[in-house]
This record gives sequence, C-alpha cells and structure tokens, in this order.
Amino acid sequence: MTFTIVHLLPELLGTYGDRGNIEILSWRLKAREVPHEVITIGVGDTIPTSADLYLIGGGEDDAQIAALELLSKRNSLQSALKNDAHIFAVCAGFQILGTQFPASGDRIVQGLGLVAIETVSAKHRSVGELLSRPTVPIEMLTGFENHGGQTRFLDELQPLGHVLSGIGNGQGSNVDGLVTSQIVATYMHGPAFARNPDLADWILSRKLGALPPLSAPIFNQLHDERVSKAK
Amino acid sequence: MKLRVIIWFASFFGAISRWSKRGSGVMMTGRIILKLQPGAVSALSKNRKVILISGTNGKTTTTSLIYSALTIKEKVVSNYTGANMFAGLAAALSKNLSAPMAALEVDEMVLPWAIKQTNPEMVVLLNLGRDQLDRLSEVRFVAQKWKDALAGLPKQCLILADADDPFVVWAALDWKNVLWFSSGARGHIDASTCPSCGVVLQWSQDKAHYSCRCGFAKPDAQWVLSADELHGYQGQAVKVVSGIPGRAALSNAARAVVVASYFGVSLQDSSAAISKVTSVDGRFAKLKIGNTDFRLLLSKNPASWRETLATSASGPTSVLLVVNANTQDGKDTSWLWDVDFAPLKQRFVVVTGDRRLDVSARLTVNEIPHHLVVNESAAATLLGKVEADLIASYTAFHRLAKLVAR
Repeated sequence: MTFTIVHLLPELLGTYGDRGNIEILSWRLKAREVPHEVITIGVGDTIPTSADLYLIGGGEDDAQIAALELLSKRNSLQSALKNDAHIFAVCAGFQILGTQFPASGDRIVQGLGLVAIETVSAKHRSVGELLSRPTVPIEMLTGFENHGGQTRFLDELQPLGHVLSGIGNGQGSNVDGLVTSQIVATYMHGPAFARNPDLADWILSRKLGALPPLSAPIFNQLHDERVSKAK
Repeated sequence: MKLRVIIWFASFFGAISRWSKRGSGVMMTGRIILKLQPGAVSALSKNRKVILISGTNGKTTTTSLIYSALTIKEKVVSNYTGANMFAGLAAALSKNLSAPMAALEVDEMVLPWAIKQTNPEMVVLLNLGRDQLDRLSEVRFVAQKWKDALAGLPKQCLILADADDPFVVWAALDWKNVLWFSSGARGHIDASTCPSCGVVLQWSQDKAHYSCRCGFAKPDAQWVLSADELHGYQGQAVKVVSGIPGRAALSNAARAVVVASYFGVSLQDSSAAISKVTSVDGRFAKLKIGNTDFRLLLSKNPASWRETLATSASGPTSVLLVVNANTQDGKDTSWLWDVDFAPLKQRFVVVTGDRRLDVSARLTVNEIPHHLVVNESAAATLLGKVEADLIASYTAFHRLAKLVAR
C-alpha cells in the first residue's frame, strides 16, 4: 500500500516555508522505506478524495480566500474526511477549516466549516516564537507564529498545545491549534515538522500505526535548541 | 541651531564613533541630526535632484551603480553603504551640501516617509518579494503602502518600475509618469493572486507574462534588457557590462544606465563607468580567514538565495553558509524551506551561524552533504588553503564585510 500525501495549493498557501512540512514527511517515510507518494495540487487541479493525509499551509489574505474558493469546490475535503483521511493545517490553513475568518478591508469570510472554530481579527499581529506543552504524547512543541487572527473554539475541542510562550490561538485561551480524530492544526511555522520531529511522526503514526525508530539527530538538536531558547 | 552647525556637531560625534570603532559613524551622525532637527531630511533635499531607490533585493547595488554613473557629470551624495532608514538618509544628505544630486537607497517601509520628505525627481522600484516577514509583514501589504505613498509624489516625478514584478506594477500603475523596465524575469514566488482584485493571477506557460480577468496585466516595457543589450523605446541601445557577477547585478546595472540617461549621462558613458564597479559594500569582496580565501556573498531571502546560489555555482567548489536570525535578518527562518539548495550538490559545503541547525535540517532533507562548525574560523580550519564562497545572511555579512574594509 502506498501512503498518499496531498499538498494543497502551495502556490497560494505557502508563504512561510510550510512546503518544508511535505518534504520532511516524505524524507521521514523514505528513510523508513515506507512506500509513499506526494501529490501537489495546483490552482487548476482536481483534489483527490482518497488520499491519506492532506497538508494546508499559511498565506496572505487574498491567497487564503482564493484557496478557500478552490477547496470549496465539490466538497473535496469533506469527502476525503469521510474516506478516513487526515488533515494537517497551519495558520491560514487552520483558519480556513473553521466557520469564518477575517480578510483585508474588514471582511468576514465563511470558511469550510469542517471544525467548530471561528477566527476574528486580533488587535495586534502575533509574531514571534511559540512554545507549547502538547496535549498529545509527544515532546514540547516549538514554532514561529505570524498571524493577524485570533481563533476561538465554538465547542469543546482539544487544543494541540498549552502555550508557554507566545500567543497561539489568542483570545486569552493560552492554547495553540487543535486536535480532532482526523485533523491537527496549529499556528506554528518553522516549519512545524522541521522543529518537531515528534509531531511529524505522531501524525504519520495516527494513520500508519507505530513506526520504526529513525535516527536523525539534527531534527532533535534543532528542537531542543529552539525549546531552550524560547523558555 | 542652524542646520550647518547641527551637521558639524553630529559629524563630530559620528567621527568619534568611527574612531572608537563602535561603528561607521553614519548612524550616529544621522540620529543626532534628526534629534536636533526632525525636518532635516526635507531641508537637505531642497534645491537638490533626489532619486530614491527601493525594493526587496538589489537596493544597495543599484544605488551604488547609479551613483557611479551620475558622478561622471555631477557631485552626488548617496548612502550606497546600505544605511537606508531615517538616520541613514539624514547622514547621506548631510555629507556634501554643495552636491546638487542625491541617490538614496530607501528601506521598503521607509519609502513613504522618504517620498514626503525629499520630493524626489525620480523613484526606482526594483521588486517586492517575501523578506523578513516578521518585520515587513506580507508582500501585498508593502505594495499597498507603496501605492498609497506614490500617489503623493510631486507631479513631475518619474518612476522607473519593474514590469516583471506584479506587485511593483500594481503599486506604480496609477502614476502617469512611469517608465516600465523589463529584464525578462520569469514568474514570482509571491504573486499567485492578483494584487489588484485578489483572484488567482494567470501566468503564461513560460511565466514571462501575467494577466487577470479584472484587467490587471503586465505592461509593455519602455526599457528592455535582453541578454546584455539594453534597448530603449526610442531606439536607444547599449551593451551593459557589469563588473559584479550574476544576472541580478546585470539587470541592476541596466537600470542604473537608464536612470543616469535621464540626468544627462549618455548610455555609453554610464555603462563604461558601471562596468568598473566590481564590489559594492563588501559584496563579492575577498576576505582571508586562516588560510582560506573567501569571496563574500550576501543572501537575505528566498529570491536572493536563488540568485546567489546560481551565481556561486560558477565559483569555487567549497562554500560556507552563514545564517543568523537577528532583527535585520528576520527572526523567522522558515524561509530556508522555500529555497532549493540543490545547486550545492557536488560542492563541499560547510555551515555555521547562529541558526546553523535550521540550515543543517534543511540541507539534510535537501540531501546536501555538509559539515557543521561553530564559526568562520573553524570553517577555515576545515577548508584549509583553498578559495571558497562565503554566503551569509545580513548581520553575518556585515560583520565580515567590515573586516574587509579594515
């Protein structure tokens, strides 16, 4: 069985190096000799609904709205979730999954509504190192956030981490991102999987089951350095 | 206090700063001038022909080349060593009060202020791309700032703007007096949506043209650089020779030739003057550390890394990468993942800098074998007696470039 990863619209949602997450997943799977395939979805492409994992990155306001339009077509992501797919979303990608998010000119845009969250404009942009204690059994999470929105849970939801430094979802919540049975989302760039090898493997293992250990100390060194600097 | 007295006073403290090796003295001079006379930049721009140069990449090189071309004819003041914010502009303008011209490099976010203060005769807009996103915010946002600021230009002002860059075009297109310049650059990493209306921007197959259903499209250029031939809309033609390596430097040299032509320097004369410039503010300068002869290259963001890696590919086999993430570098290193380091394959790669672990992780995934060392001296020890390119981010580059000057 080939593990299929779909990289959604990197031209639109890829402003902050989030494409690195795809390369890292692919590299970690290759190192473990797990057969896999990466499908990159460009602006005119049809989104497959039978892949295993979908990645959505961060981007600017207009690009976020353009991406939303394309993702709304044929309810591709809803179908993929029905087919048991998982989603990993960062920043603008995270906001798109909710019921609404803000755009330039004080506009409010309706999101995909895949999770019960809504994002509103924050008074100040959240920019800087983001450190959080994960709610799932992995090591401390480190990233760099840069967003103008604050995201609120509209339901009882599990965050990805409890913020130790930085802002995260905002609204005084002291949490970052969210975790559901099929979706993981965060405000962490960095990219997230470069700084958090544990997070990358945990997301893969949710679909693939336990993975054999991988010796790639550089990612652990980077993780530890970033965590110690952010404290 | 009279402005001349203030300048004398500020320059004195600037000189002390320079003698005590605290810095070049430029910032000290500029800060004191602005503190004692906040309107100094405006006052010092009066009765002068001011040219402002801004953009994400190539500001310092282009400014320096424009300066070289214009000085054939006139005395010119300039901040071609890259001090491009408020104090840097004040210091540059105070250098020689009898100079009738000023060629000023301006930080992208300072351009609106500089336009108001200087009443420029010409504004040169190079490009806009992702850079220091933690400080400069997103590209569309910077383009909007420019668009608003350009609306306040004095009527006679001429803009020389890049037609290949959709953000620059969008910022400048409302201005009547625009000259479009094209060097044939293809595509744009940040221009996936139309800067004007926000829908997906349509790029031609070869990425040389773009257009949108709202009517926004690439304008026809009046000045075109094709290979090394610069052609003007009135049949002008000149061969541009750049003493600085790389395609970006050649394109900036061509822009400098165009700018100088509007101030009375012939295309041939400015092209000849520009060809003699081989290093700008440490770029491509030689620096010996230990037994290793380094050539210094500056790289700041994905666009400039791509350009630098391409330029360096024809250089020596050994290459040292130095990446920091201080304020001037941008504190977020995510951009490393927007650069394809594949051109480094087959080369002997050494990595240092404050963020060497980030670089190492990136190169590991890019499958580029490399060595991690603690600093440049350790790199030189590892490299031994060879020639090597040293590609550094902003703060590391400037620290090393200072060593060249001494």
